[in-house]
Amino acid sequence: MAPHHAHNPSKRRGADLSAYATLSVISIFCAIPFFWVLLASIDGNASLFLQWPRELTIDNYVRIFMQEDGTRWVLNSLFVVGTATLIVMVLAGLGGYALSRTRAWWKRPFLYTILLIRVLPTTALIVPLYKVLLTANNWLGGVLRAIFGNGPAREILKYVGFIDGYLGLILVLATMQLPLALWIMKTFFDTVPRDYEEAALMDGATMLQRIRRVLIPLALPGLGAAGLFAFISAWGDFLLPLILLSSPDLQTLPLGLFRAFLRVNTIDYGFLAALAFVYLLPAVIAFGFARRFLVQTFSGGVKG
Amino acid sequence: MPWIQLSYERRVAWQLRLILLPSVLLLLAFVIYPAVYSIYLSLTNEALTGAAALKPRFVGTRNYARLFSDAKFWNSLLVTLIFVIGSAVIGQFVLGLVSAVLLRRPLRWKPIFNSIILLPNAVPEVVAGFMWISMLAGGERATLSRIVAFFGIPAADWLQTFPLTMIIIVNTWRGIATAMILLTAGLSAISEEIYEAARMDGATPRQMFTRITLPLIAPTIFLYMLVSTVSTIAIFGFVYALTRGGPGGATELISIYIYNQSFTAFQLGYGSAVAVVALAFSLLIGVVYVRALKVEV
Amino acid sequence: MRKALLAGLWAAGLSMAVTAAHAETIRIANHGQAGIDAMKSTVAEIEKKYGVTVEVVEYPAPDKDYVTKLLTELAAGNGPDIFSVPSASYVADMVAAGYLAPIGKELKAWDGYNQLYDVAKELAVSPDGETYVLPSMLGINQIYFRRDVMDKAGISTEQPKTWADLIDRAKEIRAKTGQYGLLFPAGVAWGGGAFEEGFQHLLVGSKTPQLATADGKLNLTGEGIKDVFGVYKELIDNDLMPIQPLLGPEPWVIPKYEMFPAGKLVATTCGSWCYIFDWGRESKNPIPNVEKVVGTWTIPGQTSGQYVLAGLAAPWAVNSKAANVELAKKALLEIGSVPTEVSYAALIGNIPARKDAAADPDFQKLTELVPIHAAAENGVYLKQAAGFSAVSEGVARATEALLRKETDAAGAQKILVDYVKEVLGDDAVQ
Repeated sequence: MAPHHAHNPSKRRGADLSAYATLSVISIFCAIPFFWVLLASIDGNASLFLQWPRELTIDNYVRIFMQEDGTRWVLNSLFVVGTATLIVMVLAGLGGYALSRTRAWWKRPFLYTILLIRVLPTTALIVPLYKVLLTANNWLGGVLRAIFGNGPAREILKYVGFIDGYLGLILVLATMQLPLALWIMKTFFDTVPRDYEEAALMDGATMLQRIRRVLIPLALPGLGAAGLFAFISAWGDFLLPLILLSSPDLQTLPLGLFRAFLRVNTIDYGFLAALAFVYLLPAVIAFGFARRFLVQTFSGGVKG
Repeated sequence: MPWIQLSYERRVAWQLRLILLPSVLLLLAFVIYPAVYSIYLSLTNEALTGAAALKPRFVGTRNYARLFSDAKFWNSLLVTLIFVIGSAVIGQFVLGLVSAVLLRRPLRWKPIFNSIILLPNAVPEVVAGFMWISMLAGGERATLSRIVAFFGIPAADWLQTFPLTMIIIVNTWRGIATAMILLTAGLSAISEEIYEAARMDGATPRQMFTRITLPLIAPTIFLYMLVSTVSTIAIFGFVYALTRGGPGGATELISIYIYNQSFTAFQLGYGSAVAVVALAFSLLIGVVYVRALKVEV
Repeated sequence: MRKALLAGLWAAGLSMAVTAAHAETIRIANHGQAGIDAMKSTVAEIEKKYGVTVEVVEYPAPDKDYVTKLLTELAAGNGPDIFSVPSASYVADMVAAGYLAPIGKELKAWDGYNQLYDVAKELAVSPDGETYVLPSMLGINQIYFRRDVMDKAGISTEQPKTWADLIDRAKEIRAKTGQYGLLFPAGVAWGGGAFEEGFQHLLVGSKTPQLATADGKLNLTGEGIKDVFGVYKELIDNDLMPIQPLLGPEPWVIPKYEMFPAGKLVATTCGSWCYIFDWGRESKNPIPNVEKVVGTWTIPGQTSGQYVLAGLAAPWAVNSKAANVELAKKALLEIGSVPTEVSYAALIGNIPARKDAAADPDFQKLTELVPIHAAAENGVYLKQAAGFSAVSEGVARATEALLRKETDAAGAQKILVDYVKEVLGDDAVQ
């Protein structure tokens, strides 16, 4: 394993060759499904099956942004998922630190509970969740109406409402990503030696000082990794926006995808593929940016 | 003022709780409470439509009694188990480990291999569904059929003939990256000197792998197994897009079974009972992992 | 969060400045671009007539996702004021759940009521005798066949008289042309299609033509049901219908949009929209001269008779918890106006339920639909009962097992009965 400088050069070349071969096979396996999306999206006559486009076109992309509300879907998705990711990073940074440093009895039960509860699919929680959000929404709506009157309250609810409003979706998406993020941050902080932190702080430092001087500078790689996973997972979520959003102003990309099912029965595969590609891109870019944090975070995380 | 009189230690302890509080509140409101509410629902005949939606009744443990004699439920549990073992425990892990190990070599195209293997992890579930429908559906026109035709293997209706194998392959595809990231991290924590010393003693690469690498990354592997098992149980979207649980329940994962009960048969009460039992099983698995494999937290 | 808050405050300020007094709002749920386009003029009409603001909320297009969202909202008491029910088989259950406001009185007092076909009026009546949905559009399914292919092969294109006749015709097509002879939608992936675009049609001509009993229960043990599954069985086992695409996702795409235009499938059940969307002027893969080249048969009875099965196509209803139910009912009736029905016919291809739509010049332009509209008078239908959505899913599962050649007709009936019992409880099934 990992003979960085093996002694026998020919043996090494042979091993390298087989490494190339194996990695190529795995890479091909990983890459092949992407070809259909790429090719169909620039095909004027796309079908469900992989084919070389006979007429190359960017019409599908033009349609997304000119005829349909593509720009709005992208911006809404970025806003909702971006904000949720920020919330996750802040809360998991703080919470993970607390979980790492606390010696309280509830630490382990808490960690296992939030991890194991992930087995419940969103589909099992959605109906009670909707009721919780509706109650909160009605209450908030009542308050807002009392202060601002009917019309303005509706507009405000679009932003801070729990049902059919940005805030509700953002908070729920963030919460769904919290368990994994808390785990990542907790494991990450476990690898930051306490002594280091104690040395950096005089006795009696306030929590704010701890956060500013220790947490933020040290936690960046961990936060990068936790944020990445949160972003990717929230970005891919379809059921929550489906149930929680209705207004056209608030539509996000995964909901836009379902406009590809136009008309009665027909499916516009070119449009679908183009939109799928647009939907795919930010997640891939996020990976590109945050990749370097991953190994850094987890190599720390598994030492202990 | 009592606050000031607290010792520094105790104050820190309280502050730690304070900064964890927002996370706890969110989890309570949006995960724990709905989960507890599901337990309540599982004791009623609540439905999304039909007369039971108007006047739900408390039915005690009737849903659970029905569940235990429901062959489809046991089938879905078995399917889930095979799915988890096939994709998370074997597929993702083996390919992730192989990739992680090979990518430690100073290969020329390392970043390219690395990026391509990470790529599927970024694909949203709905899109993954579309991509793989194109790969697998449509008999001889499916991409996979055309690939295997090169090797003289006849075209097949992949999602009909080998449904469970196919969704295991797709989930493996999605998850190699996670395994690879975690295992790369685990490997990078092993110091080069240990290998150097082993080499001096004349150890073969195989011996080094089984005697040094594996034992040293075992904690990483166990942690990975726990997290990936738990996450895989809840997988829903792309499998639903690909097979809707069919044919004949062959890919009806527990999550799809719950969805079918709640949103196709509209029986929330029964669907919740399934969810509760699924949760109980996963607790069991969690305990087994923690006790048997000693995953430390 | 702060950003959202700031944005909220900003929007609040803005909207206070703009809208001093807000008109009453009616929320209409719609799904599918075509449906939304069809409703455009209606929305303007409602706004003008009643001085309200209409907010059209676009729901996701696939029926399944639409229903998931709609029912979740209705169950929580937060549904739209007016919505369409994607399949009539959901109506009885939604009535039982108390989601729909009764509109019988308003409907009878409406000036359009007398223009409705009787079959539409009857279809709209729920098992309790009250009416909860506006029967604005009818879905009429028949068998469509490739006249050109059959003529060329020397196969009779006469109306088949019995089921056996129909199957023989399919076998003859298979033998003489080598192509698939007749498709009935089947399987789980087609959603409600197996029940609504095939099973029902055969059932009404069988020995036990109805499922609903007088006391509102379901009778699923009828011999007719087994015989209907027997027709499927015969089509499948004799390789008369394409099976493989039906087991995949979007099962209608390959048979209807590719095989039928290419002459590889010679006959299939289809709705009136097929002449326009599947193979006609709005199709991506049109059949030239479709009205001449593609002919229609009504569906024969088991031993005699001919059946034009009419169903409500996505009927509209009012939420019983709407903010202003009376107003919503008035707005609902606008959807039954001739211009709205004609615009639906043009954009979706269903048949207006009003007789006077025939006189509309825009409708007359839809030459493909005119004769079907005229024949709707003779439509027969299946009496609805609570539990039909479960029956629909059960038929999908039973036909799936037939497609996979895992069972026979009696076995398929057992799958249906077991599924419905499992979902509704033993006492809902006779």
